[in-house]
Amino acid sequence: MNAQLILDNLPTLLWGAYPNGPLGGLALTLLLASLAGLGSALLGVAGGVALTMWQGWPKRLLAALVGFLRAIPVLMLIFWAYFLLPILFGVDIPEIATVVAALALIGGAYLAHGAAAGLAAVGRGQWQAGLSLGLSRWQTLRLIALPQALRMMLPSFVNQWVALIKDTSLAYIVGVSELTYVATQLNNRTLVYPTEVFLFVGLMYFLLCSSLQLAAAHWSRRLRVA
Amino acid sequence: MLSLPPIDWLAPKYLNWMLWGVLETLFLSLLVALAATVFGLLLAALRDSRRRVLSLAALAYQTVFRNTPLLVQLLFWYFGASSLLPAQAVEWLNTPRALTLAAGWTLPWPSFEFIAGLFGLSLYSASFIAEEIRAGIRGVPFGQRQAAAALGLSGWQAMRWVILPQALRIALPPLFGQYMNVVKNTSLTMAIGVVELSYTSRQIETETLKTFQAFGVATLFYIAIIVAIELVLQQLRQGRWAPVGVGRR
Amino acid sequence: MKRGLLFLALLSTFAGHAYADKLDDIKKAGVLRVAVFDSNPPFGFVDAANKQQGLDVDYAQAIAKKLGVKLELRSTNPANRIPLLVSNKVDLVAANFTITDERAKQLDFSTPYFATGQQFIAKKGLLKQPADIGKLRIGADKGTTQEVTLREKYPTAKVIAYDDTPLALAALRNGNVQAITQDDAKLVALLAKVPDKDKYELAPFHLTREYQGIGVAKGETRLLKEVNATLTELEKSGQAKTIYDRWFGPTTPAPLPRTFKIGDKA
Repeated sequence: MNAQLILDNLPTLLWGAYPNGPLGGLALTLLLASLAGLGSALLGVAGGVALTMWQGWPKRLLAALVGFLRAIPVLMLIFWAYFLLPILFGVDIPEIATVVAALALIGGAYLAHGAAAGLAAVGRGQWQAGLSLGLSRWQTLRLIALPQALRMMLPSFVNQWVALIKDTSLAYIVGVSELTYVATQLNNRTLVYPTEVFLFVGLMYFLLCSSLQLAAAHWSRRLRVA
Repeated sequence: MLSLPPIDWLAPKYLNWMLWGVLETLFLSLLVALAATVFGLLLAALRDSRRRVLSLAALAYQTVFRNTPLLVQLLFWYFGASSLLPAQAVEWLNTPRALTLAAGWTLPWPSFEFIAGLFGLSLYSASFIAEEIRAGIRGVPFGQRQAAAALGLSGWQAMRWVILPQALRIALPPLFGQYMNVVKNTSLTMAIGVVELSYTSRQIETETLKTFQAFGVATLFYIAIIVAIELVLQQLRQGRWAPVGVGRR
Repeated sequence: MKRGLLFLALLSTFAGHAYADKLDDIKKAGVLRVAVFDSNPPFGFVDAANKQQGLDVDYAQAIAKKLGVKLELRSTNPANRIPLLVSNKVDLVAANFTITDERAKQLDFSTPYFATGQQFIAKKGLLKQPADIGKLRIGADKGTTQEVTLREKYPTAKVIAYDDTPLALAALRNGNVQAITQDDAKLVALLAKVPDKDKYELAPFHLTREYQGIGVAKGETRLLKEVNATLTELEKSGQAKTIYDRWFGPTTPAPLPRTFKIGDKA
């Protein structure tokens, strides 16, 4: 074991070249995950509501889009968005924006799928109760169905965000220097310490994901008490 | 009318490689799905056990396996585990071999890369699958348990004949979602040398530099496999695996 | 892909995005964008101070200087070096790029500026002559032509391509493979770094001789000419030797005699 190697390179692993260069390492991983997590939550709830409330072809179109996003591997969506859009349409999207958008879209698709199922699971009785109280469909959704569905869905939100944190490492395909990327650079510069490097990487992701889960557990307990 | 020149597609030889990659991906995914479901059921049972030691152990397992990157886990099983074994065992595991069956038929022994990949992926996926099964069990109304008890069924009998069949039906869609993840996750085993779909697409890229074509074909294959799984799910849900309260009465 | 590229180029024209000659674009922008490896010492890597370094970086620098423009480096890996070039995110690829006929159908290579031989590090006593290769399990790096060569010349060898050199080396030290293959230029330095190096040895032969060139998008003949002219000039002025010596010369940890000059017949 060569713990000194990790200690010597800790600043790079934690925040990349910052402040002399762009932000990288663990800090960039956190930034990517937070932005994509937020985006996926918004897209997920909006998509779930749309899948529940819309009818006819808009619904079918959205369902097809959600199905496609759930089917394509994350790595490939990032790859195609980054390299094909400039060739086809001359649109140049920066790397970080591509990664955040791809992760938010895929995470959002998974959550939308789950949210629609959650809204359906709230039960016909609840919907009928709302409607018979004279509430409109949208009011019933907002006041009765959605709050219950969201509470039920918190675990799957957390699961999706954990997956998302780990998927930020796929940004390597477009050269974003998040944690795994700088760790790979270190690994290849030093050549003979892969164990140390990967143990450190595993530990960092473990800390990130576990703290998210702990926070969510704490929050859901408070929700239940309230 | 403008006639566009055709794209320079991959030669048949490479598409053939790709097909072998698809088969490897399918085979690995299938084995992982089976192993992870069995182990996931066991984990779910342990999690909900009344013995606190068992449920805590299962929780600890899930926390570690769900919250660390799959790549790191695969590297651990491939490199780490073999560095703990004696040198002769490593040599035996890594040597290509075939099982000779009767009448001259031989069955190729899976490579150590494949075994490590299967092992790592199954342990990882089981921790997620256990969660889906537990959610399914929680979704079975409490009255069902009481009814089973009133019929004189023991705890295990109630689980086997009353709770689990309903729980699996509830958990079917998220369970299939996990199987889709298994298919996509097999691509990470290319890091430890499993010759699956992503690995073959990289081989073709290296040889021909037709990156877009190689990755394009691989993307289409992944989407096709996932869509096929979705179709199987929908088929199941229209038949005997219909959602609770719908269909067979 | 050539016709494919044309097709894509046509599409991009429809999108109102016609390209002028790339050399003009570079001079107009005042910036040369070059993709270099960031995980392949000593050709391209990131040093302890987070700076891109290496032989390829030095060549990129020299070409930018000749063109009189600023250099902008972009890190790349084998999975995205062609996409970076084709989608016009970089102008050149200087990433230890081995030239083959098959590959030259997709892009243009400059005149070779480096030559390597395919070499092996094996467990002591296992690899004495090329005929032994077919009996071994051998680790390679993904994206390298060495994997292709082995597959074609020694179909009975079991070749496993790992993501990068540290993992291939770990596989050797763990016993997953019995030998690893890479450029001789990399292996000499690698063996010097291995803690238990007395257990391993360099194979006493080279399998092939490979030439590395700078990648230029198809059809950019003026840019290609300019790159070639620069390389020839670097050799003449002795600068090519200076760059070589900086990474492989007698004062480096793993010296390697210079057996190839730019302009030598490949």
